[in-house]
Amino acid sequence: MIQPQTHLNVADNSGAKELMCIRIIGASNRRYAHIGDVIVAVIKDAVPNMPLERSEVVRAVIVRTCKELKRDNGMIIRYDDNAAVVIDQEGNPKGTRVFGAIARELRQFNFTKIVSLAPEVL
Amino acid sequence: MWRQRAFSVEAIRHQWNRCCSSASSSVVLNRRKSFELLSLQEVEKILKDVRADDVKVIPTKQSQSDFTSFVVVATGKSQWHVRNIAQALIYKVKQKQTGAKRMLLPSVEGEEGGNWIVIDSGSLIVHALDEKARAYYNLEQLWTSKDSTNEQTQIQDLGQAFVKVRRKNNSKKPAK
Repeated sequence: MIQPQTHLNVADNSGAKELMCIRIIGASNRRYAHIGDVIVAVIKDAVPNMPLERSEVVRAVIVRTCKELKRDNGMIIRYDDNAAVVIDQEGNPKGTRVFGAIARELRQFNFTKIVSLAPEVL
Repeated sequence: MWRQRAFSVEAIRHQWNRCCSSASSSVVLNRRKSFELLSLQEVEKILKDVRADDVKVIPTKQSQSDFTSFVVVATGKSQWHVRNIAQALIYKVKQKQTGAKRMLLPSVEGEEGGNWIVIDSGSLIVHALDEKARAYYNLEQLWTSKDSTNEQTQIQDLGQAFVKVRRKNNSKKPAK
């Protein structure tokens, strides 16, 4: 459940370290975003000497949420942190590697690029 | 469990429905065996015909990532070329299913950009990239090195988990 003002970790090597959600893309008055949703975010913390800087506005895909993700077969997936991957307008990830485990639902939401960069798919 | 697009021949392009294949893995396996959108030989032949450079086929079965069994990486000379590679593959899928009541198409990602197009047909994923993107993302290094290193680290982690370490007793001060 990501809403505006939620802080998220960054799960890639794009150079950003922490994001803050400022808008959820999809509908006009949407309250919460879940895994696989695209958000607009501000970079709150960044690694020095990288292309992305603090207070830059970027798009990101949510890849992990503390809120449980339920599957049809009864499986429930819940992560310890909220994490996102920075993307550009076309949907290409800004970083070249994705860290941590990622749910395979992202593939159904047409983020195969992120899934193929990830080390582990749950 | 991948999402496929169902396409009835009469319907126009923007009226595509999506249907999810069912969740149980055995059913998916059976369906894969009976019907495959693209086979490896076909993909290789098409990529050769459209003159994609540096085609690499990476089997991923032995690694623990079970979401696909083959990854094909190909390079195009320009954005147009990359888009043409994707178009050729989709055309082949459509040609294979001519006359079928509902056409199943693979999911295509990044077709507007042309830097990196992914064609995801379930057990086979084709990446078409331009030269810059290929060097930047370095996919084959990621996929080839992963098989060996990941398993080793896992075994190491397991070994560490089962070793018992006696804690140091700090409660008693050593007698002087």
